[in-house]
Amino acid sequence: MGSRRNNLIVLALVVVLLGVAAYFIFIDEPVTRSTQLGLDLQGGVSAQLEGSQTGGGKVTREEMVQAADLIRQRIDRLGVAEPDVRVQSENQIVVQIPGVKNPDEVIRIIGSTAQLGFYQVLAGDPALTEPPQIVPADEVDNIKEDIMENLQDDDAYKEGKTKILFSETPARQGDGIEVYGYIVNENPDLTGDSLKQNGANVEFDQTTGKRVVSLELTAEGGRQMGELTQRMVNESLTSGEPAQLAIALDQDIQSAPTVEDTLGANISISNDGLPDGLPEDEAKQLETVLNTGALPVNMQVISQTTVGPTLGLSSLKSGLLASLVGFGLVLLLLFVIYRALGVVADLALLIYAFLLWGLIVIIPITVTLPGIAGIVLSIGVAADANVVIFERIKEEIRRGKTPRSAIQAGYDKGFRAILDGNVTTLITAFILFALSSGSVRGFAVLLSIGVVLSMFTAIVITRALLGLLSDRGIHLSPALMGVSKSTISATQQQAKVR
Amino acid sequence: MFDKVDFVGGWKLYFSLSAILLLGGIIAIALGGLNFGIDFQGGAQFTVANAERQLSDEQVRAALPEDMAGESVVTTLGENGYEVRTPVISSQQEQSQIRDSLSRAFGGEVSVTTVSPAFGEQLRNQALQAVVAALIIIVAFISFRFEFAFALAAMTALVHDILMTIGFYAIVGREVSLVTVVAVLTVLGYSIYDTIIIFDRIRENAPTVGYNRRRFDEMINRSIRQVVRRSIYTSIFTLIPITALLIFGEATLSDFAFALLVGIVAGTYSSIFIASPVLSLYKAWRAGKLQAARST
Repeated sequence: MGSRRNNLIVLALVVVLLGVAAYFIFIDEPVTRSTQLGLDLQGGVSAQLEGSQTGGGKVTREEMVQAADLIRQRIDRLGVAEPDVRVQSENQIVVQIPGVKNPDEVIRIIGSTAQLGFYQVLAGDPALTEPPQIVPADEVDNIKEDIMENLQDDDAYKEGKTKILFSETPARQGDGIEVYGYIVNENPDLTGDSLKQNGANVEFDQTTGKRVVSLELTAEGGRQMGELTQRMVNESLTSGEPAQLAIALDQDIQSAPTVEDTLGANISISNDGLPDGLPEDEAKQLETVLNTGALPVNMQVISQTTVGPTLGLSSLKSGLLASLVGFGLVLLLLFVIYRALGVVADLALLIYAFLLWGLIVIIPITVTLPGIAGIVLSIGVAADANVVIFERIKEEIRRGKTPRSAIQAGYDKGFRAILDGNVTTLITAFILFALSSGSVRGFAVLLSIGVVLSMFTAIVITRALLGLLSDRGIHLSPALMGVSKSTISATQQQAKVR
Repeated sequence: MFDKVDFVGGWKLYFSLSAILLLGGIIAIALGGLNFGIDFQGGAQFTVANAERQLSDEQVRAALPEDMAGESVVTTLGENGYEVRTPVISSQQEQSQIRDSLSRAFGGEVSVTTVSPAFGEQLRNQALQAVVAALIIIVAFISFRFEFAFALAAMTALVHDILMTIGFYAIVGREVSLVTVVAVLTVLGYSIYDTIIIFDRIRENAPTVGYNRRRFDEMINRSIRQVVRRSIYTSIFTLIPITALLIFGEATLSDFAFALLVGIVAGTYSSIFIASPVLSLYKAWRAGKLQAARST
């Protein structure tokens, strides 16, 4: 019989699908690692950053993608495992790092702005003519406070219009760190905008032979730099004090060379104090950070979550327990109400659950807490698809149809109702996906996949199983389907009366 | 099932039952019962897991900076879990300090979530947009599939379900967060589905010509009887896993499950006891108006 062959083909296909799912869940990778768990279930740091322009202009998608790259590089340099950095909506970046031991440091590094700025130094402490302040590493914060107090008393300091930036460099002689504070304008006189793409390079100064990082500016940037340094030189001539240009990355001054002549499009970051100039690794870092970091976007942490491994594990356990208990009860109830039909539905639901797991591993979808909620809800949806059809089948049997034609009719008439229900659920899931972000999306995605897959299992797999059962001469009596004799005769009599 | 129940005729009873519950919810909301989480207003949330010591409310507050202690909310999660919600914390440093201080006080692991007020506002707007968009799409969907009388009745049931969910949330004082909005949207989907099942039958059974109130109401009752078992089974099969989430799930899942539980029960009730009578009443009112217009 043709339909029987079709049913066998469908079931063979299901077995293949189950095999594929099993391969990816258990064999391709050990089962403990195959399913990707969200940070809320395994612990880790997640942060959401928002990009903005200094002047309040619009941030472009490209700028955000570049910023995301930069952040990824920074995290990589921390040596942290598998960071996930994604651009989300117009101006946001989501950073997720599993299992971090030093969340504070990570947040500081990814949260700091990737902004290159050139500032005219309005006043410095210690001044150029004075000896440097050299302190051990653990006293840097203290000395910074002293410097800050000194500078705030300076005439050049104007609350709101200027700010104080620091530079920290290894001491030229002996151990310790040289700390300088500078008063500069609140906004950089020139920003990362003016750096040419890949404009930063590690080079050796031709006259001194020392290692420097050269910065090549764009034509416009060079013109502006010319104007700025011209003004600075002029002011210096009038005041008699040397002009100094601070090159800052974020809020840290990298280099503050003295400006003796007007500068153009080519300038360099140097450290004349050390015999070889800039240390090699520092120069390399500067080069990378400047080439990727010369972005005209400010980054601000708008939301952050640090989940400890203990909390993650207990969330995972409670989520799994809830899903399994719920799933078990649904299986039990299906059997109680529908007997033989229920057993078939239970089998289909087990197949459904296993295929869903397989999809989660293969796609792969990261399972989060809201995702578990989506899965749990989809169990209800999957069970419901069977209920709709079985109720129709029972209705047909009460009208006196044979099990086989009742099953046929049940599927034909039940399909529309299932489609209706699933379309409304999919609409909701779609709206959630479109208008939300982050964890809510996990819910929407898993619910949608669950709904579509449940239609497949209820309509294709259950049907093939039932078809085979009724073909194989196994007698599905009404009682086996949970229909009592009395209701059959009652319905038939009712029909006769009408 | 329900052979003796007059689903349409008993509307006064059903409506008053809903009205009492809704009134309770509205009073709870008016009294400030809605407990907004940091998702919507910004702030920080510290979650303590595996606490070694059980601390009283005052002891927890003592571990917080003085200016925060008064405005913070402390809740217990299970046996040895705590949640401390504080207003917005300005610096990363202060946040670390509070975390370490709580960790010392409880002797457990402390997880932190912070949301800036601006981001909270964005989340709030997104959530509102999502609910409004869902309502608009659903109205369009029903108007497209049914005539106006059906759409009106379905909408009444929807509004009923949303208010019921929010009202119960306010009464029990659970935390309103992003997942609550997700739950409300899911409830919308379920509620409309339930109503469609019944309305589909009503439309199938409706005579094509002529309107007679007694016959129409009887037909509604008959249609409901035909599908009520199915409608209740659907709810039960959804409610079982949700109840498991409510009982076994941690805070977020449990709050989510609670909203769904209320919403789905309300949705099943409203599609039978609210939407169908509204349909009948509207039809009758409309017929009366037509008749009045004809006789003048």
